[in-house]
This record gives sequence, C-alpha cells and structure tokens, in this order.
Amino acid sequence: MRQLEIALIGAGLIARMHLEAWIGAGASVRVHSLDGRAAELAAEFGAKAVDSLAEALDGADAVDICSPTGTHRDIALAAIAKNVAVVCEKPLAADVTEAEEIVGAAERAGVPVYPAHDIRFAPAFARLHELVAEGRLGAGTVARFTVAGYHPRPWTGHASVESGGILTDQMLHGVDIAYWLFGDVVRVHAHYQGEIAAPAPQGTAAVGTAVLTHASGALSQVVSRWTPTPQPPIRVTYHVSGTGGTIVHDSEWPQEIQVSGGPAGTFGYYGESPFSSEIREFAQALRGGPEPRLVSHDALAAVRITQAAARSAWTGRAVELPVKGAAA
Amino acid sequence: MKVAVLSFAHERAATYAQLLHDMPDVELLVADPDGAAEDPARGSATARRLGARYVGSWDELFALRPDAVVVTSEVDRRRELVERAAGAGAQVLCEHPPAVDEADARAMVRACEDAGVRLSFASPACFGPAFAAVRKEITEGEVLGGLTAVHGAYNRPRPAGAEAARSGALGTNAPPVFDMVDAVLGGIPAEQVYAQSNSVLGAEPGVESAALVTVRYADGTVVSVDCSWGPADSGPAVGGPALTFIGERASVEFTAAPRLLGGFDAATSRERWGTRGDDPYAVMLGEFVAAVRQGSGAGPDGAAALRTLRIIQAARASARTGQPVELAVPVTVQP
Ligand SMILES: NC(=O)c1ccc[n+]([C@@H]2O[C@H](COP(=O)([O-])OP(=O)(O)OC[C@H]3O[C@@H](n4cnc5c(N)ncnc54)[C@H](O)[C@@H]3O)[C@@H](O)[C@H]2O)c1
Repeated sequence: MRQLEIALIGAGLIARMHLEAWIGAGASVRVHSLDGRAAELAAEFGAKAVDSLAEALDGADAVDICSPTGTHRDIALAAIAKNVAVVCEKPLAADVTEAEEIVGAAERAGVPVYPAHDIRFAPAFARLHELVAEGRLGAGTVARFTVAGYHPRPWTGHASVESGGILTDQMLHGVDIAYWLFGDVVRVHAHYQGEIAAPAPQGTAAVGTAVLTHASGALSQVVSRWTPTPQPPIRVTYHVSGTGGTIVHDSEWPQEIQVSGGPAGTFGYYGESPFSSEIREFAQALRGGPEPRLVSHDALAAVRITQAAARSAWTGRAVELPVKGAAA
Repeated sequence: MKVAVLSFAHERAATYAQLLHDMPDVELLVADPDGAAEDPARGSATARRLGARYVGSWDELFALRPDAVVVTSEVDRRRELVERAAGAGAQVLCEHPPAVDEADARAMVRACEDAGVRLSFASPACFGPAFAAVRKEITEGEVLGGLTAVHGAYNRPRPAGAEAARSGALGTNAPPVFDMVDAVLGGIPAEQVYAQSNSVLGAEPGVESAALVTVRYADGTVVSVDCSWGPADSGPAVGGPALTFIGERASVEFTAAPRLLGGFDAATSRERWGTRGDDPYAVMLGEFVAAVRQGSGAGPDGAAALRTLRIIQAARASARTGQPVELAVPVTVQP
C-alpha cells in the first residue's frame, strides 16, 4: 500500500502529538510552521520540514492543521482548493461563519474534513458512546460533563469576551460529547465567568456553565473550567443518566498505575493515547477505509453550540438553534 | 420538652416520630386528625407502636402547649398549622415547600416573626458539622478565594406518593440544594433563573423527572444543579446532594453521603456501598431540638425558604418558556 503523505501545519504542543501518531500509523509527514521549530520537530520523528504551506500541500493526501485556531480557515481553504483532504484540530474554526466556509468548500470540492476532537477517542468517552449506542443507557435523560484544566502558557491571539474567548475552546470537549450521545441541540443557555478574553496571562481562571436541550428532550450540563494552578492536573468527569440506568466516570479514579508523593504526573498509564487511535482512524479513512466517527458536520455542530453558548452568556438569554428538517 | 409531629401526610413523618421518640428528654406527641382516606389510622397506629401520646384534634394538640412542632402535613394545610403553632408559641420545623403560593408562605413567615417563633425548614443537608465547615471556609475565603460558581446534583429517586407527582423533580430535589446554596451565600437573592426539564424517566406523562436549574445570584455567583430523580433503586450513593464550590483559587467538593465502605454483598449479589452512617434526619432533628432548648435557630429559616420557593417557581416558569426568568432583587438586601 502506498504511504500516506501528510502535511502537518504547526510545530507546537499539539502538532507533536499528531506527528507521533502519524508516524505510528505509517504515514510520511512534512512539517511546516512559522516559528522555526518545524525542522527540530521533524528531525525528532524522522519526518521532514518544509518552508511553505504550498510546499507542504504539494502532493499531500491530507493536511493536518495544528496551528492556532484563527489560522484554520485559510489553511483549510488552501488545502481544499488543491483537493487535499483536511484533518483539523478543534475547534474547526474560530466562529460559525468560518466553519461553514470550510465545510461548504469541502462539500463542493468533494474533499473530506476530519475534525480532531480527540475526546471522542479517549477510552472513557469511547466506551460511554459504545454503551449508549448499544442501547444500554435506554432513552437519555440528563448528562453532566465537567472539564477542569490548567492552560500551560499565556493565551496569545485576540478573542473578545463576546466571542466566548478562551472558554469556547475548552467547552467544545463537553459539548461535542453531549452532541455525540444525545444528538441535535435546540436550545442553549450559558454563563461565562472569569478572565475569558485573550490575550490573557498564564494562570487565568475562568468557568463556563452551559445547559443544552437536545431535540430528543434529553438535557446536558457542561461545566468547563480553566484553573489558575497546574495542580491538580486536568480533571474530567461525567454522569450520564437514562431509562436504563447511569454511567459515570471520574478521571481521578485510580488506573493501572498510581504514584503517591513526589512531583505529580511523573508517570502513569491510561491506555493508548487518544491521538494515536484518532489518527489511525483518520488514516484508515484516507486510505479508503470506513468513515471515521466524526466528520465535518459534527465539527460544525460543535462550533454552533459553543458559539450559541457564548452568545447566551453575552446576552443573558437562551439561544434557540434551528434543527435541520424540523418544521419552522 | 414536648415536641409534636403534626400529620402523617408526608412520607417522613413516621421517621421523625421515631427519631424524636428516641431522644431521652423529648416527650413525643402525635396528631393526625385529618388522617388519610386510605389509611385513617396511620397516625394513631404509629403512636401506639412507639408508646407515644396520640392527640385526636388540633385544638387539643395546641392546648397541650408543645415546645416545638414538626409540620409534615399536606402542603395546602401547612400555612394553617404553622400559624396555629406560632399562636401557641411553639418553634416550628416545616417540610418543604412551605406552601404552593408565595403569598401563603409569606403569611407563615410573618406569623412566626410576629409571635417570636423560629420557623425552620427540613433541609437535612444544611445541618451537620461537615456542611458547617464548608460554609465557614467559603465565608472566610482563605482556601477558595472568592466564590465564583457552584455545580452539582441531587438525584434522590422519586419519593412514593401523589405529592411527588404534583411537585415533580424540581419540587422534591431542588429545595435541599438551593437551601444549601442560600446558606453558603448568606441569603444573597437570586437574580436570574433558567431551567429545563423533561419527563423521559417517569412513567407519568407531564411530570418532570429530570431538571437542570441554573441560577445567577445578585453577587454574580452562578449555580447550576441537576435536580433529576435518580433510578428507583439507585442506592445510597444518591442519598444526599453533592456540590462543587468553585473559588477563584481552589474548589471544594461537598458530598452529603460519602462512601466509607466498599466490597461485595453475596446476599444481594450487589456491590457493597456504605456511608459513615450519620443519619441526616437524626442529625437535623438533634440540632433542631438543641436549638429549641437554647432558644436559638438551626437550619434554613423562613426567609431562606421563601428565597428557595421563589427560585423553584421561577425555574418552573423558565422550563415552560425556555427563557431565563429575571427576578427583582429586593432593594434592602442588595449588596
Ligand atoms: N485537542 C486538544 O485538547 C487541544 C489542546 C491544545 C490545543 N488544541 C488546538 O490545537 C491548535 C494548536 O494549538 P497548540 O497549543 O498546539 O498551539 P502552539 O502555539 O503550541 O503551536 C502553534 C504552531 O502553529 C504554528 N503556526 C502559527 N500560525 C501558522 C501558520 N499560519 N502557518 C503555519 N504554522 C503556523 C506556530 O509556528 C506553532 O508552531 C489550536 O487550534 C488548539 O485549539 C487542541
């Protein structure tokens, strides 16, 4: 089988994880970034660095966009124009208009868009979805999702409070899972608190609290937090209820390895990295395999919901979302 | 000290009677003159079983001048009983809600104020030393910093009886949670209430079995809680509210029914799950009786119950319209 050619854009935090996963999936990767770190990153994984986006896209099967969110649209459109498939870090774009542009252009060109919502590949969430899809939860009633984490660097870029700022970024995880489990969302209400505009210094604290009403009648609560200190480490929980019972998870539950004392996060084992399973699934799809568990429309739906949450937090009103195919 | 349980309409009346009866210095009086059509002797039978005094009419009961009463009647009889208790100078512990109507609830609060009687509400999670420690910590703000947001859940299963169908999950599960928040916030009033509900779990159409309520308070604190009924046989893990208090610096999780023991129980073929076992109702009644003796108050007072009632009524309105309800903040309590 011919080796996949991947144009990886960005050489930062997330690009490194993707690169490792692409190499693991047997792809050949050219890396392009603007900060001069592409060469070093590429060398580490036996990939190559290129100097321009055009060079990266030339002859590539797919672009993998791991640059800051504000750059996603232009890079995606450039790739689509060259019939190069798009893998893109979350969120697909900074706002709904940009996300619609990407999805629209990709559809017209017949180019696939695979959004990298890695949370769908994290074992606790992948298993949750399996159970729900198998009907083990019965009809969904209420779900609660919390994510609390520290952002290791200052927030660069510009994002207003009105846009949802740095919260829409993290809230997308919980929102995406809620949408994956319970389907279309018709109403959103949210509060955003704390220092949410970017640029923002390291250690910025913020809380987002959103309630989603799904077309099925099920309800989801998403609490999304940036914590001011690196300790405790990222914490993720869910509590999902249905007529068939409940499914709960807390990332603080001990897994195979638990370390006490000493610096936190020194070592542990949490199963295969979600990035590896994610990229493997995308690679299979790019080689003509089955469609991955999420495609362009899922990314667009998630951006629509987080933008509705931002709008609700800004206006103090609940925001109604139109549902495709529903009578007006 | 004479403590009377007034009516056995509420599911917990018999529990209260038993717990009061077990207190060494309490003389228990039981009155249930209005009875129930299907079980007219429920009150007198309980009294007989406990060897407590059964009183056959309200007049007779209040003539005995109880020091305190526990009001466990039907909701629409609570105003009358609380007013009579106030008239008789008895301290009151009343079940939620005080009344269906805010006007009735206000009248009850006024009657107790006028009579110099402390009106308390039966929100077990607000009593007890662990919750007191959380309140103290948040008030002092040393660990948490300023309180920003609260999220959590109270997923007690649907209580038996017709009253639960009338009140829905919002009526049964929201009051204890919002009483706790009220205690932590020191009575700061709610400013905006948003709620969504569904009846997917319940067998009863139109009765909400699930509800999410989000409240923004006048000081900016945002509280979002799941007040849904849990599955019928969901065990002790859902026995009490669990809330996470998020501050500017740190957060605190409070669990009213924490796990103490695990293991496997071969008799039921189920996982063993044990809490420390301080019965929250015993703790509540103990603190109530102690407060009566000292002439002080314990737990949420009438004003707190009114604030909680307003939140729940606004939540019902919001769930109907799909939009948040703005509440007028009383001028006197604005920060
Ligand atoms: N899935 C997750 O949990 C998760 C976590 C962190 C970040 N992300 C997403 O990943 C993306 C990147 O985040 P990061 O934290 O890795 O950022 P980063 O700042 O660490 O790295 C960004 C990289 O992109 C490069 N870059 C910037 N503009 C470019 C352009 N126009 N062309 C080519 N390269 C360019 C920079 O030079 C840098 O190498 C964002 O969209 C973010 O939302 C997702």
